[in-house]
This record gives sequence, structure tokens and C-alpha cells, in this order.
Amino acid sequence: MNTEQILAEIREANLSYLMLAQSLIRIDREQALFRHGVSEDTAALIGTLTPAQMMRIATTNTLLCRFRMDDDVVWNLLTNHGKGAANDGMSRLHASILLAGRHQEAA
Amino acid sequence: MARSKSILTEARQIERAVMLIHLGARLQVLESETDLSYERLLRLYKEVAGKSPSKGQLPFSTDWFMTWQPNIHSSLFLNTHEYLNKVAALDEIDTVIKAYQLYLEQMQSQGLEPLLSVTRAWRLVKFVDNGMLTMTKCRKCGGHFVTHPHEIARHYVCGLCNPPARAGKGKPAVRCDLDADAAPAGASLLALAGGRPVGGPAPGPRG
Repeated sequence: MNTEQILAEIREANLSYLMLAQSLIRIDREQALFRHGVSEDTAALIGTLTPAQMMRIATTNTLLCRFRMDDDVVWNLLTNHGKGAANDGMSRLHASILLAGRHQEAA
Repeated sequence: MARSKSILTEARQIERAVMLIHLGARLQVLESETDLSYERLLRLYKEVAGKSPSKGQLPFSTDWFMTWQPNIHSSLFLNTHEYLNKVAALDEIDTVIKAYQLYLEQMQSQGLEPLLSVTRAWRLVKFVDNGMLTMTKCRKCGGHFVTHPHEIARHYVCGLCNPPARAGKGKPAVRCDLDADAAPAGASLLALAGGRPVGGPAPGPRG
């Protein structure tokens, strides 16, 4: 990947993210807050972005969304580190419970 | 006679009732959460569901929420519910509806059978409001799980960090008619062959 490709891919990902975020917010605002893990203010802002604004925000050299899990516990559950495949379903459920419990990060 | 004076309020309540019926709620939930008359709710139910609502009392015990798998499902729902409660200002019943929809989605995306019905989910929230159930933080993973109140928080370990000895063993085979999707076929075969726990993390470090 050269620089031009990287920038194009990042813009693409950012734009997809923003467009999805906006439609989810417009479909159901409260559920979108849960899905995105953003605050109400941020959601309100994303909801009102125009296509031109989205294009401008998306065109940058960094990604706009970030990982919601930044600790070993959740990562290990999701990647099933050191556990058999038989536990996969339960590990994912476990990770979902932990992630759903993190509302302080959104507020 | 004048139960709901505003037509708009009534429209909103009917919309809510329809959503709850779609999600499979029992009539008692509708009666408790709307001001619509029993007769109207009954008619609405038949219209939306195409059948008469099931009769009989609602389950009133908190025990179900304490059993292993239901506890996991209930905890996922309640965490989602608390999340919505914290970040959005919604009417209580709307929070239940939206959280339950998110719970169903999660079950669908993970290929699991939703063990928690919307009636039970609603009931769970009531139990928590009444202080009959609460959430306690697991000492190991830090997640919050449904427990009886006054659980000794310092020593509490959740059912996923410390699954019961028989968790998942044999269960999928016995109940394959109920939750065939919950246990991957390969996994239950493995369990039968090797007696290895399915559906729960291994109790100790395993290779």
C-alpha cells in the first residue's frame, strides 16, 4: 500500500462509518447510543451532518472510530485465547456482557 | 371511563402495545404498562398475534434468574438496559423494549437461542426496581451480573468465570430440541466423546 492507497482506504472506512452511524442514529437514537458507544451530544452532532461535511471529516489520515475494548479481559475472550473452540459461544457472550456494562465511557 | 384523555397518548400506547406483542409479551405486561382497557388489549393482541394470549399467571420467582444459563442471558439484557438507562432519557417500558431488541439482535448475531423472554426481561427490571434482585460486580472479570441483593461483593465470582462443574455437560444433548442453535453440533459431539465442558469457559487453565 502506498500513501495514496492508505489515505483512500481510510477515507472510505471513515465515510462508511459516518454514514452508518448517521442512519442508525436516525432509525433509533437511543439504540444507536448503545451501538456506537458515543454520548448523546456526539450522536446529535453526527445526526445532523451533511454529506459534504461527512466527506470533509472523513478525508484525513486517521480513523475516526476506535476499538471499544482496550483491556486484556475482553480481548482474550474475543480471541478465545488459551481456550478450546467449544467455549467460543460462551466467551463471546461473556465479552458482550462486559462491553454492555461500560456506559461510563459513553457519557 | 376516560382512561386516556389524549388521542396522541393513546396512539403512543397502542404503538407500544403492538411492539410488545410482536416481541411476545404476555397480556399482563400490556395491562401493567398501558392505560388501555383489558378488552381493547385483548382485541389488539388477537389482531397483532393472530391468536389468543396465553393464560395463567406470570412466573413470580427470582430463582429462574439465578440458574446458570438464564443468569448469563439476564445479565446481558440487564447490562444493556442499564446502559440505555444511563445514556438516554426514556420511559421505563421503552428502555425495556429497546434493550430487549438489542438483546435479541445479539442472540441472533451469535447464533444463540434467546432464553430470556420479553415478559421475563420486564419482570427482571421490576425485581431490580423492588430491590429483590440486583447486579454485583464479578471479582475476576469485572462484569456486572444479576444476583440476589446482599451478595458479598468482595467474594463474588460470576457464572462465566466460575461455571458450575456440570455446566454445559450433556445439557445440549438433552435439550437439543429447545436450543439446537445454542450448541454447535461439533461441540456437543466433543462433549459426548471427551466429557469436556461445553458452553462455559474451562474452570482452570487448559492447554
